[in-house]
Amino acid sequence: MLLKQRQQDAFSYLYDHYSGSLYSIILNIVPDKDLASDVLQEVFIKIWKQIDSYDNFKGRLFTWMLNIARNASIDAVRSKGYQKSQKSKELTENVYYAAGSTEINTDQIGLRKVVHNLKEDYRVLIELSYFEGFTQDEISKMLKIPLGTVKTRMRSALTHLKQVIKS
Amino acid sequence: MEIQEYIESGIIESYVLGIAEPAEIAEVEKLKLQYIEIQKAIDVFSITLEQMALKNAVPPPADIKPRLMAELDFNTSSKDTFPLTVAYNSNDKSNEEGSIKKMRTWRFAAAASIILFLASAAANFFIYNKYSKKNSELQALLIQTNSLQASNQVFQTKVKEFETANQMMADPEYQKVNLLDPNKKKDYLITAFWSRNTKDVFISVKKLPQPTPGKQYQLWALVDGNPVDAGMLDPTCKSLCKMKNIPRAQAFAVTLEVSGGSPEPTMEQLFVMGKI
Repeated sequence: MLLKQRQQDAFSYLYDHYSGSLYSIILNIVPDKDLASDVLQEVFIKIWKQIDSYDNFKGRLFTWMLNIARNASIDAVRSKGYQKSQKSKELTENVYYAAGSTEINTDQIGLRKVVHNLKEDYRVLIELSYFEGFTQDEISKMLKIPLGTVKTRMRSALTHLKQVIKS
Repeated sequence: MEIQEYIESGIIESYVLGIAEPAEIAEVEKLKLQYIEIQKAIDVFSITLEQMALKNAVPPPADIKPRLMAELDFNTSSKDTFPLTVAYNSNDKSNEEGSIKKMRTWRFAAAASIILFLASAAANFFIYNKYSKKNSELQALLIQTNSLQASNQVFQTKVKEFETANQMMADPEYQKVNLLDPNKKKDYLITAFWSRNTKDVFISVKKLPQPTPGKQYQLWALVDGNPVDAGMLDPTCKSLCKMKNIPRAQAFAVTLEVSGGSPEPTMEQLFVMGKI
């Protein structure tokens, strides 16, 4: 009973501290709020079940959780059930871009907002790799750019991103 | 390779964001052990990312947390090594308590089994002793029964013989002949039973002296004045003894002869005689 209470407290602590940050990164990838909520739930279940396999040699706890959230979000977006809303998402994005609106969308906050403000060449690469989960090889084929170019341009994009975040 | 150049190449960001290729991840993880600067750069970018995420946190719907708390099973002990700031050292204690409890249980079980073993051994010894005693008693009883049975058989045979003799005495088929001392000095007595139908002869020795060693009594039938051998008296026969078949006779006589019998009776040794 004591152990249970302790675990509940630990989970509560974890959720209270990180759910907002993780929810925001999920929203960066999954704009649909209902689906994003489902993903957030799934992410915390994964975190709780896999916490034993977390190795602090690999990095900070938040970085680990962030990657779980990112992967879960990309999986959700790629799932078949998401196909329907995918079209409407593209439509909204098109409307958004066409309007050149400054209105802040839920997927235009945090990191994605920073990335969005990078120059086009960099933005596309980070969008595709980080937010959509494509490998450099896949990106090379998609954009018809040599793999070497993708690599070097990606590195420059990331260096630039770091500078932007820092400032 | 210049470390600073490596750090500024964008590989660190790629690694922290989780978009690096497997070969790059392996490289960073190897190099960060060798170069503290690389580890530092990783930490710096991780913290930057974390702070930005915290700054941009979006409160999730309020109903998610209670749903999660209800869904998750907090009883599993696998979360003992939970790496958070919440103190978990006391979990080890509860584990220890558990193992002590376990040990106590084992000790109790061991003690109980030893006691049970000793009790069982004592019971076995007691029961074995009892069994041995009963077994010898049974053996004695069996022997007694056997001897009783044997003597019973002897009595039964005797009773049967007496019954037969009785029947013969009463039966009109048998002619009863008392053989007595012809000099009428001794009260020797043998009773002969002669079947009128089968002509079988039985005798019952009532009184006759023990024959001297090497001697045996012999029965004779007197047929027309001539003695005919009617058989030897079996010294083991204690009641009714079957003799030879005598088709015709006028009298019976018993003489003492050498063991095995004589062809002619020794008249000096005539003990009893009876006319039919």
